[in-house]
Amino acid sequence: MEASQRTDAAAAKPQDPSPAAKEPKPAAKNTHRPGDLPGQKASPVEQHKKPILEISDLTKKFGDFSAVNGVDLTVYEGEIFALLGSSGCGKSTLLRMLAGFETPTSGSILLEGRNIVDIPPYKRTINMMFQSYALFPNMNVRQNIAFGLKQEHLKKSVIDERVDKMLKLVHMESFVDRKPYQLSGGQRQRVALARSLAKEPRLLLLDEPMGALDKKLREQMRLELVDIINTVGVTCIMVTHDQEEAMTMADRIAIMDRGEFVQIGGPREIYENPNCRFSAEFIGSVNLFDCTLISSDQKHSLIHTDDFPSPIELGHDLDLADGMPLTIALRPEKVYISKVPDEETGGSNCCEGDVENIAYLGDISIYYVRLPSGRLVASTLPNVDRFKTGLPIWDDHVYLSWDPESCIALTI
Amino acid sequence: MPISALNATQALIRRKLNAGPRRRRKAELLLTRREVTWRERLVILVPYLWMILFFLMPFLIIFKISLSVTEIAIPPYSPIVTFEDGAMQIILHLENYTFIFTDEDGTYMKSYLKSLEVASFSTLLCLFIGYPIAWALSKCRPATRNIMFMLLIMPSWTSFVVRIYAWMALLKKDGLINDVLMALGIIDSPIHMLQTDFAVYVGIVYCYLPYMVLPLFTALLKVDYTLIEAAYDLGARPVKTFFSVLVPQTRSGIIAGSMLVFIPALGEYVIPELLGGKGSILIGRILWQEFFNNRDWPLASAVAIVMLTILAIPIVIFFKSQRKKAEAA
Ligand SMILES: Nc1ncnc2c1ncn2[C@@H]1O[C@H](COP(=O)(O)OP(=O)(O)OP(=O)(O)O)[C@@H](O)[C@H]1O
Ligand SMILES: [Mg+2]
Repeated sequence: MEASQRTDAAAAKPQDPSPAAKEPKPAAKNTHRPGDLPGQKASPVEQHKKPILEISDLTKKFGDFSAVNGVDLTVYEGEIFALLGSSGCGKSTLLRMLAGFETPTSGSILLEGRNIVDIPPYKRTINMMFQSYALFPNMNVRQNIAFGLKQEHLKKSVIDERVDKMLKLVHMESFVDRKPYQLSGGQRQRVALARSLAKEPRLLLLDEPMGALDKKLREQMRLELVDIINTVGVTCIMVTHDQEEAMTMADRIAIMDRGEFVQIGGPREIYENPNCRFSAEFIGSVNLFDCTLISSDQKHSLIHTDDFPSPIELGHDLDLADGMPLTIALRPEKVYISKVPDEETGGSNCCEGDVENIAYLGDISIYYVRLPSGRLVASTLPNVDRFKTGLPIWDDHVYLSWDPESCIALTI
Repeated sequence: MPISALNATQALIRRKLNAGPRRRRKAELLLTRREVTWRERLVILVPYLWMILFFLMPFLIIFKISLSVTEIAIPPYSPIVTFEDGAMQIILHLENYTFIFTDEDGTYMKSYLKSLEVASFSTLLCLFIGYPIAWALSKCRPATRNIMFMLLIMPSWTSFVVRIYAWMALLKKDGLINDVLMALGIIDSPIHMLQTDFAVYVGIVYCYLPYMVLPLFTALLKVDYTLIEAAYDLGARPVKTFFSVLVPQTRSGIIAGSMLVFIPALGEYVIPELLGGKGSILIGRILWQEFFNNRDWPLASAVAIVMLTILAIPIVIFFKSQRKKAEAA
């Protein structure tokens, strides 16, 4: 299910009545989101938009340990950018360096062309929404939202007006006099968001914005948060370890592993074209096969794996010497499962085995098929009526096949 | 109530639960209210007994004495209740109190004010010095923290009076401080420090600082530091952040520490007596004089009662605010 939802989320995004369509965006905003253009290597955004944040060779060491290790990143105006990675990979550390709470060991952070490494947090035009929300417990909702504005010594009428605008934006008008402890988790999040947006920052940082919410509320808040961010038109960098959240919310995603960026790209790009085993495994689920290259010409590549009797065929060439080891990644939803052999495959990109397990997940089912080689391959089928007849069941002998384009060759 | 008896009652109640609906409701109520065992009662009783024996009783005795007048007798004050010809007379003298407030020289009022001034100022000094210390303690590594705690507590292992005498030796005209300053050529003639208000403040701050630091330290340990980051993030400078985020969060520590310094400092006798000048008469010395030199027990008692009232005000305010906070949370 995991995988299928991923694709659904990624695929559904362009058709979504995008908040951008409802709300007029600032002129500079590009309505094309990088995620809309599958397979494109360089996002067209990069040509149209001006970079707002440029990080180069940023490193943070705690003693000998590099929490963030030589990271380069450019974020463009109006983008929602997600940092995705497993626990302890340095996401928060990177975010905290942007906010100014950690001093980088080396490297530079340019915000609109100005190096902000030596600027204290209270002078940066960046605001952060904390994972724990960090609302001031002794202040009510209004005072919390007004806190940042008061520091700018604005007139009271201006502050009140801005606070009212923010309250309206996050639909919290009726809670102005409540203290944080009198609010639910979701309401607190709204207040925290309003507080961090009140100062109209150039860059909004969200550290696990949904971390403290339950699953149901999380899913509901995702689209609302995107909606609010787009209404305001602020550039946003968010940290999450929920891939679903990153895929639904972000224009671009950076996959992080042990303090380094593994891959940066749109949700669809990362899902369809992972550039390494880590990305492929991190986003969605995947069947990985250890292979060696048999031959490669301009149109085709033939690949051998011990798992299948027949070779794997790829629809493009590989820039590798024959006999080189590589990994083939195959998404479960791209593996067709059938009780009768597929006539078209012509010997390659197919195999047979026995259904060992079926995981019923409501919308889809995952079939785990044991090959004669002992290898287990996952394949998903949607649970729709039209597929109801003739579905394989436990211990059925089944035939698996896939298109040459579905295989992704990975070298690292 | 012994355990077996308790079990028996509960069994009885359970039996009642199986009876009619009205009775059952009553029995349910009984079950939900937890029984307080006699052991628990005993535990509560101990502090109550302590307070009655060592606070309430002496207080009432002092209060009684303050409502009498001096007499050459043993004890040296007039009885409040007298029996004469079968008539019981209760005479409550209020002149001690009126005397305190209307004394022509204003000696008593002046010394109250002076004591309040010294106590408040010492409390503020302790707060200003104690806060950074508590902050450092809460921030440093546990190993360092233990050493710092030792340094903070260790002076109180020696007798209080001995330490005040040590300060006399340090502060006097030919004391260590003056000698060092002269030797360094910073001053030409010794500074008069002993028997000034300065010396009193030095003594009080020195003695009561740990009582300020400890509650502040516990409060600072509980501070949510992301709130400070949030304040920075929203553009508040360090000073502003301190007052708008850290101070409200450590409020209970500030209040507790201030009370622990203010209350004993108000009635402090030894420190002003040994380090202070003859000019500044604090309430502690007045008490001593009235009691021992003038043998005017009733007046001394009245002075003590008034002082207690002065102390009661901040305490009541404190507990009111605590209760309000508890209700809020
Ligand atoms: N102040 C610190 N001193 C020493 N090590 C630290 C410090 N802060 C973070 N680290 C280490 O740096 C690494 C990255 O931490 P970071 O908080 O950035 O992880 P993360 O990606 O945000 O993880 P999570 O998803 O669990 O929040 C961790 O291994 C952590 O132990
Ligand atoms: Mg984190």
